[in-house]
Parts: sequence; C-alpha cells; structure tokens
Amino acid sequence: MNEQAQRLLEAWRTPKGWRYWSAVNNSEVGLWYTITAFAFLLFGGLLALAMRIQLAVPDNDFLTADQYNQVFTMHGSVMMFLFAVPILEAISILLLPQMMGARDLPFPRLSAYGFWSFLIGGIFVCGSLFFGAGPRGGWFMYPPMTTEYQTDVGADIWLLGLSFIEIASIAAAVELIVGVLKCRPPGMRLNLIPLYAWYILVVAAMILFAFPPLIAGDLLMELERALDWPFFDVSRGGDPMLWQHLFWIFGHPEVYIVFLPSIALVAMIVPTFARTPMVGYGWIVLAAVGTGFLSFGLWVHHMFTTGLPGITIGIFSAASEAVAIPTGVQIFCFIATLLVGRVTKSVCLLFVLAGLATFIIGGLTGVMVAIAPFDYQAHDTYFIVGHLHYVLVGGTIFPIVAGVYYFYPLVTGKQLSERLGTIAFWLMMIGFNVSFFPMHITGLIGMPRRVYTYPAGMGFDNLNMISSIGAFVLAAGFVVFLWDLLRPKGKQPLAPRNVWNAGTLEWLAEVPDQPWGVRSIPIIKSRYPLWDQENFVRDVDEGKFYLPDAEEGLRETLVTSTVEATPIQCLRVPGPTFLTLGAAVFTGGVFIFGTFHWYVATCISGVLAFFTILAWLWTGTAIIPEKTEKDVGLGLTLPIYVSGPDAVGWWAMFITMLGDMTAFMSLVFGYFFYWTVHEDFPPKDVDGPGVIWPLVSVICTLIAWTLMLLSRKSNRREGAGVFYIITVLSVVMACCAAGSLVAGPWLHQMDPTEHVYQSSVCVLVLWTVVHLAVGVVMQLYCMARRAAGKMTHRFDADIVNVTLYWHFMMLTAGITGLTIALFPLAA
Amino acid sequence: MNESASQSALDSAGQGAEKIAELFYWMTAGAAVIWIVVVGLAVYAITSRREHPVRLTSWLVIGGGAVVPTIVLTLLLSYGLAILPELQRPAPEGSLTIEVAGVRWWWRVHYTDQNGGRITTANEIHLPVNQPVEFKLTSEDVIHSFWIPSLGGKVDMMPGRTNRLKLHPTREGVYSGVCAEYCGTAHAQMRFRVVVTDQATFDEWLTNQAKDYQANSGTGESTFLARGCSACHAIRGTSADGVVGPDLTHFGSRLSIAAGVLDNTTENLKLWLNDTHGVKPGVEMPEFESLSVDEIESLVAFLGSLQ
Amino acid sequence: MNINLWWLTFSPLCWASHFLASYLTTAIYCAKFTSADSDAMPVRIAVAIFTAIALTMIATIGVTSLRVHRMGHATLPHDDDTPRDEQRFLGFAALLLSILSGIATLFTALVFFFMETCH
Repeated sequence: MNEQAQRLLEAWRTPKGWRYWSAVNNSEVGLWYTITAFAFLLFGGLLALAMRIQLAVPDNDFLTADQYNQVFTMHGSVMMFLFAVPILEAISILLLPQMMGARDLPFPRLSAYGFWSFLIGGIFVCGSLFFGAGPRGGWFMYPPMTTEYQTDVGADIWLLGLSFIEIASIAAAVELIVGVLKCRPPGMRLNLIPLYAWYILVVAAMILFAFPPLIAGDLLMELERALDWPFFDVSRGGDPMLWQHLFWIFGHPEVYIVFLPSIALVAMIVPTFARTPMVGYGWIVLAAVGTGFLSFGLWVHHMFTTGLPGITIGIFSAASEAVAIPTGVQIFCFIATLLVGRVTKSVCLLFVLAGLATFIIGGLTGVMVAIAPFDYQAHDTYFIVGHLHYVLVGGTIFPIVAGVYYFYPLVTGKQLSERLGTIAFWLMMIGFNVSFFPMHITGLIGMPRRVYTYPAGMGFDNLNMISSIGAFVLAAGFVVFLWDLLRPKGKQPLAPRNVWNAGTLEWLAEVPDQPWGVRSIPIIKSRYPLWDQENFVRDVDEGKFYLPDAEEGLRETLVTSTVEATPIQCLRVPGPTFLTLGAAVFTGGVFIFGTFHWYVATCISGVLAFFTILAWLWTGTAIIPEKTEKDVGLGLTLPIYVSGPDAVGWWAMFITMLGDMTAFMSLVFGYFFYWTVHEDFPPKDVDGPGVIWPLVSVICTLIAWTLMLLSRKSNRREGAGVFYIITVLSVVMACCAAGSLVAGPWLHQMDPTEHVYQSSVCVLVLWTVVHLAVGVVMQLYCMARRAAGKMTHRFDADIVNVTLYWHFMMLTAGITGLTIALFPLAA
Repeated sequence: MNESASQSALDSAGQGAEKIAELFYWMTAGAAVIWIVVVGLAVYAITSRREHPVRLTSWLVIGGGAVVPTIVLTLLLSYGLAILPELQRPAPEGSLTIEVAGVRWWWRVHYTDQNGGRITTANEIHLPVNQPVEFKLTSEDVIHSFWIPSLGGKVDMMPGRTNRLKLHPTREGVYSGVCAEYCGTAHAQMRFRVVVTDQATFDEWLTNQAKDYQANSGTGESTFLARGCSACHAIRGTSADGVVGPDLTHFGSRLSIAAGVLDNTTENLKLWLNDTHGVKPGVEMPEFESLSVDEIESLVAFLGSLQ
Repeated sequence: MNINLWWLTFSPLCWASHFLASYLTTAIYCAKFTSADSDAMPVRIAVAIFTAIALTMIATIGVTSLRVHRMGHATLPHDDDTPRDEQRFLGFAALLLSILSGIATLFTALVFFFMETCH
C-alpha cells in the first residue's frame, strides 16, 4: 500500500474500542441501522405469532382482550415505524454512497443522530408492552377513543415515541435527497444514475411531504391529551375526521414509501442476474415519479365508509385505480429485462420471483378494494388483512430478503448459503400463502379485523387454524434465514470481489472492505460502468481518479452539480463524535420524560439537548478551511468552502423547511377544515384574536425579515459593526412579532380549552412563536460565530442558511397572521 | 352461536350485498387471469434459456405494462362508478327509518311508529323483506361501524355526525351484524341480530315493541329495582328509566344477550349475571357478586318474561 | 430548449392541482352549499372547466417533452454520456409522465360523469 493510500486509510479509519460507538461513517451507522431494524422486524413477528396463537381456535384465552389489543397495535406500529421505514433508510445509508462512488453521505453526523434517536425511541415504545402499558388504539389511533377513552399513558407513548422517530426519518430523508442530488460522482448525469438512486430520491421526497401531516396530527392529539385542547372532541366543536385525514395523508404515501425502496433493490438485482442493462430505464423513472405523485391522491380510500359524499369517494377511487398503472409498468420492465438476458440462477432471483408473485396478488386485491362498493364490504375485515400483507410482504419483505442475499457479500465479505436460502424460500413462500390467502375468504364471510376472539360455528374456525399453521411455517422460514445470516462463517473463504459480476459502482468495494469506500472517485460514462468502461476497476484501485489522497488527514468527498454532475466542491465531512449520541439521548429524554409528565426532567433534558446540538453545530459545521481551494487530482482544483445554493448545507435547510412548511400547512388545513364542518365558524359569540394584533405581528416579521436580508448583505463588509446592529434590530423585531402575535388571543381572553376555534387559533400562534424563537436563536448564533471568527465576510454559509430559514419564517408568520386576522371577516 | 345467523358478505340477502358479490366474482375472475398470465411470464423469463430481442420486449412493456392495464382499469372504474350512485342514494321518502346509535359495546335502536312515537330497543333489528330501509347512524362515544354483511356494505358511526345507510333485504331469515371499526376492549363482542320477516310479522313485532311492561306475579321486578339495575336500564311502564345501558322492556323477546354474544337462554342469562366480565371483558356493566342464588333465579325469570 | 429535473414534475403537478381543485370544490360545495336534492351540477360544470384547463396544460408539456425526446438522432435508451442524451432522457420521462397524468386526470373527470348528486 503506497503512502497516499495509507493517508487515506488513516483519515477514514473506524475508531476502536469503546470509541467505536462514536463512529459516524455510513458503513458503520448503516450497519447498526440495518441490524436494529431487523431486530424490530423479529419483535413484530413474535407479536404476530402471539396473535395467530390467540386466533387459532375460537373463544381462546391465550391473550386477554386488553393484551391482544396492545399486541395488534404494537405489531402494526413496529412493522411500519420501526421496521419498514427505518430499513429503507438503513439500506440507503449503507449502500447509496457506494452506489454513487461517494466516500460518505453529506451529513454523516445527522445519520448517526437519526440512528440513535431511532434506537432510543424504538426501545421506549416496544418496552411499554412489557409493563402492560402499551398503546392499544391501533396503529391508526383514531380519536376520540384515543383521546377521551384511553387516558392511560399508552397513547402518549405512541404519540411521543413515534413522533421522535418520525423526526429522525425526516432527517434521513434530507440526507438522502441531498446525497442523490449533490454527491454523485463526476459525469453521472441524470440519465446515468443507478435506478436505486432514482427511487430513493422519489421516496425521500415523499417522506418529506407525507410525515409532517402525521407529526402535525400527533401534535394536535397530544395537545388534546395533555392540555385539553378539544381538536377531536365533538362536544366542543372538534371533529375526529380531521385526524383521519391527517393520518391517511401520511398513511397512504407511507405504503409506497416502504414499497418503492424494496422495488429499487429488485431494480438493482434483476439486471445483474439477467446480465443485461435494465430494459425501460425511462419507464422505471416514470413509474417511480408517477407513483410518488399519485400516492398522495389516495388517502381517502381508507375512509370510504366514513359517510363522505359519493363524489369524493369516486375521486379517490379513480386515483387509486390510476396508481396501478405505473406499478404495473415496473413489473413488466423487470420481466422484459429477464427475457432479454440469459438468466443466471440464484436465491436472490427466487426471492424476487416470490416478491413479484405475492405482490401482484396484493396489487390486484388492491385494485379490487379501490372500487368503493366492494370496499364497503371488504373494509375493516380480514380481506384487508390479507390484502395488505400480500402488498407489504410481497412488495417489501421478500425483495429485502433478496437484497440481503445479494448485498451480504458486499458488506461482510462472505456469501450466504444457496441451499439454506432455497429452504428458506420454500418455507416462507408456502407459509406465507397458507397463512394469508385464506384471510381473504375469512374476511368476506364476515370476520372483522382487530377482534381478539371470534365465536365458534360462524365458519371462521378452520380458516383461522390454517392461517395460524401457515404463520408458523413462515416463521420457520425466517429462522432458517436468520441462521444463515448469523451462523459462524470463519472457515468459509472470502467471496470474490464483485461476486455476482454486477455492473454498478457499489461492487467496486474490495474484499475485505476498506473504510474509504472507493480508492478514488471515478468519472462515470455509463449506467453500468463496471461492464462498459474499460480498465475501470484497475484505474479506480490505482487512484487514477479524483481524491486518491488525504494530504491533510481529513475526510473528503466530492460535491457535484445537480443535473450534469460536474464537480463543484471538495466537501470535508466530519469524523467520529459522541456529540450526536448525546444529542439523541437528551432529545429522547424530552419525549420520554414528557410522556410521563415529569416536566422538570423534560426541561433539563431539553436544555441539555439544546446545548449539545449547538455544540455539534458550532464545532462541526461550516468550518473555515486552512486554504480556499484544493487540487483533487486529474488537474482539477475545487473550492473547499462554498455557501448558498451550491452548498449541501443550504439544500439541507431548504429541504427541511419544505417539510416544516408541510406540517404547518397541515395545521392551517385543520383551521379551514373546521370551517367546512361547522355552520358558524368562527362561532358568533366568541371573541377572535382581532385584526390589529395579528397584523402588527405580520408587519414586525416583515421588518425582521427585511433586516435579515440586510444583515446577510452587511456581513459581506469587512467591518462587523453594521452587521451586529442590523442583526440585533432584527432580533428585536422578531421578539415584537412574537409578542404581538400572542397579544391577540391573550388580550381577547381566548381559552383554547373552550372550543376548537380558540384552540386552532392558539395552535397556529404557538407554532409561529416557536419558529420565531428558533429564528432568534439562529440570529444570535450568527452574531456569536462572527464574533468568534468562525464566520467572516467571505465565509458566510451560516448567515446565508439562516436567511433561507427566515424566508420560510416570513411565509409562516404571514399565513398565520392573515388567516387568524382576516378569515373571520370573510367567513 | 346460532348457526343460521349468517354473517357472510357472499351469502347475500339484500340488494346491496348482491350487487357487490357480483362485482366481487367478476373482479376475482379477472384478477386470477391476470395473475396467471403475469406470473407465468415471469417464471418463463427466469427459466428460459433463450435471449429475446429488445424490440419485442419493449412492446411487452408498452402493451402489457401500460396499454392493457389502462383499458382494464378504465372499464373496471366505470363499472364501479356505475353502481355507486344507487348504493349511495337514500331510500325513497316515507320508507321505514331506523335510528341506530353505537355505544361501547352495544347498539341502541329507535323505531318510529305511525304516530311518530319513538320505540326504543337494543341489539336487535327487525326488518320487513323487500322494503328499502333507511338507517340513521350515530355514535354516543367512539367511532363504531355498522355492518350487516349479508344485506350490504358498512357505514361508520362517527361522533358528532349522523351518517346514513340504505339497505334493501330480499330474503327472510336471521342474520348477524357486527361492529367493524375497532372501538376498544370489547370490540370483538359488539354484535347484533337482524331478523328479516314478511311485512305482517314485522308489523306485529313493532306493535308489540311499542307496548309498555305488563306487571306479573314474580318477585323479579322488585329485585330488579332494589338491586339498582334501573340506574342503567329502562323498562317502560316501571320506575326503571336508566339510559346508560340497553332498554330491556322486551328483553325476553330478543334472540341474544350482551349484544349478540350469547343466545338468549335461561342458562346463558345466569352465566351472564354471574360472570359478566368473564363473558364480555371490558363491558361497562358491573358484576353483581352480592346477588343471591334466589335473586338471580327471580331476575332471570323476570327478564325472560319481558316478551 | 433545455429542460431540467423540475420539468419532470410539471405534468404530475397539473394532475395534482386538478385533483385537489376537484376534491376541494366538491367537499366544500357538498358540505356548505348543497341544495335539498343534493344536486351537484355546479360542481360538475366547474370540474369540466378544470379538466379542460389541466388537459391543455398537460398536452402542452407532453408535446414539448416529445420534441426534446426526439431531438437530433435519437434512439432509446438514451444512455449516452452526452448532454444531448440527458435531455432526450428527461424529455422521454416527462412525456411518459404527461401521458400518465393525462390518464389520471381523465379518471378523475370520469367520476363527475357518473355521479350526479352529493349523496
């Protein structure tokens, strides 16, 4: 190994001993993430077996009604929130940088923070079950059952524990979007990027718009539970339908959020074993983007029986049919690719086939239940249980198992057993179908979902027994699979490099793998560079491409432009730290202590989290480099520090704020939703916030925002005096904005517990004030950075990003002020 | 459980259920054909040793992946939309209208007689055959869902709203209804019976339901009042006027107890009074452990006499 | 003309706007303004207008995309390492998305053909 390689290795070395847990590199965090998600899959699976034992015979008493209700609630929640979504993030964090020849994702510490949050939140939520305090409102948590009739801590655990994890998911989405758009290797144009990256881009964007409505819903429900703000209490003007809308605006895209990344794995596996490029690359992109959009037009098909007008039902029925078209296109692209090539047999393909055969049944029953009249019968019965498991197991779990067989050698250097894989395949295939196919019939002959028992003699007995037997065969398949993963492989020889002879970049990985990811970052000219580009692997290994060295001993990767992927920056990514673990622990504390109403502990934890995150930002972001430019190899010199739209940090702020605005718009939607359901909204005899104070607040925000634009400009002067003065003025105006916004409801004595009108005004005010407070913190942070010399007139990423935040702040404050001040006049 | 009380959506005894079952059979047949063709093609693609030309497979993507699905889905959507308006349309003016409220975990039922008087009953619905019926569905607490699979689709009972549902039974018989929306601990045991009879039998039943309680010779009535049953249950014609639990005025005429959980027999009624929470975990009715054997005997006899 | 990544989203956004406009018009009209017999004619007329606008826009985007897709000597699968082929690929994907968005918009419109009332 030459000197260059030695330096590179040193920079990327994984910490040893107890410091190992301070690692933030994608290969470490991705692996932990994957293992944790699989652990939750097993836990969810055990819960499923408990349910199948209970339902094996009529009038069984293996579980009590209350236990069963907790178990089915947790089964759904664990599988969706702690397995399906995290596993996609896990696999992407682990593999996406490799697929794009990047050394790491742009924000390694954010990935680590997300992982630790996920672990803490997941253990907290699952642990509740062992104290009999588990949530029992179903994974859909419909109020008013979960607000007025389940006053124990279970629902709070669900709301706070999972909100915490949802925030981590959004963090991962930000990371993945920026990763796909900005961290591709030079030359990897949009028409050349691996299909996996296309899917992940779409999915991450979907997370960004799907999760915030649920977070907004969680906020409303927790406000009702903790502070008695009556969002879902009909006696005080609330409406449980609002929750259903917010939940399913999240819940249906969610199905595609977990399905598309798994199909993305199939899109990587199929060309490899067909030994030919994917047929219909453009069609697959159509399918991914099209599904991404259409999936936001389906949510009401979960609400067909709630008594909505027939036209509304029809509109969502139509969109639910339309989404089948892009889904079908993908399947035919895979089949076409397999037809074109000469197929090599493998367990991977067996599981791909299992996935297709199973998913197509789920897709077809999905088309059936999307026809509203049929749904009137099938809804909330075992038919749906059958349907959704065909979709999720066929569309998600089987492809992931295929993916594990495919990528295992890449990650561990050892191959899995084809023989054990075949056994697992047959056990899973038979077990799954025996278990879930009869459920379609069970449902149609009248068995509702979520029942802890059923009477004998209704025709349910035999079908349920068959389903239970099948479940255990399926479980046996998983045991074999698990054994294959975990069995000691010390004596087994290392797998050859690029064991499947694939064409995509991740297979550059050496065996055993090196922490640097790729020896040098290559120039890409093809969709399958390992197949098409001559001497490709040799050139990469010999360091003939970009960044073959780490002269300064720092971790570096390339940032490229969004469309053409021309290099624009040499990005230094941060190394190991315990700060992210600490930040996750303290943030977790806020949610966990909050659940039990231990408000002192919550506040302490919150303050600690705040300062840990500040320390993380202060020491780890926007660091001024020792030189402005750097030679990255091949005669190319790139800047090390950039700010504005070229910088990954700017994109991260922009994308995060899109998600934030989505959550805010969900709250605004709530306000108008109450208008549509009430004859008089705002109620006639109730005082609103008035016109004056909210408008004063809008004007103050406008001034604060204008001052921020000036502040960004004045920061470009060498002398900092004007910058400080303008920024302080902006802080003052922001405080005035917050004060006058609160003054409206305060001076009119609006009591948020009295009626939903007051509470929906107050929640908008609360949201805006919290955002103003965050905005002020950011302003103070910028002044401190400038004073400490960590931000200068030239190196201004902090103030540019903060100004970007303030653009969104202006929108938020403007919409809040105008809505609460002017809408009552119009209505 | 009564074997004859069908709860199957495919054993249709109403216009809605018949149309939906027909839709189901068509869709299932179509789905089966599609599945066999697509999976057959996939298996062939994996096992075939031949390499097929790209041009041919491109047509497969366009035809099989896009064009055919679009045509099939358009037809299916049109079929679904064509039968939707009739299912949504309210029953004609003047049809029998029944109000049903979901309560954790039973059903409060109101009929209206010719004079506009309200007749309260619970957990059992009688319908005349071949007549459209309009249901007004409400909830008194959480979300429930009103479903009689053999007669037609379900509609949720939402707090704060009145939903409606039209059913049109076409075959006499006893059917089973059930709550389809998870509503808490005893969701699995929130059921009811539906009795579809000819018009004359129905009229007779309704006339009987309208009557108040006629005093009889047993001691049960005094036990019922003395033991506090009347705090929750009403028996019209006595001082028992509780509204928290089901109206028991004609309890003895009903087919089931505890909201469709047990057949209405003397033995089962004793079991219910002795082990209320064992029979139906989570039920709001307290267990009356202090009742003596004699008191239970008299209560059972009394309740059975409420025909 | 040169198209970028955002171009892909324009047709689906037309569908989304049409979808939301149709849904919200229906929801608000049926909740607040419906007459005794629940006649939905005003909504149906509104949606017919929305549909005409949306389809025109989608068709325009589709035709432009088709031109980009067929620019110069173009043959699928557009996988050359050239800016030209990248444009052709974006054009092709946008064309397909336009067709899908058009179908989805027509599906929504179909509902208003069958449904005459707010029931």
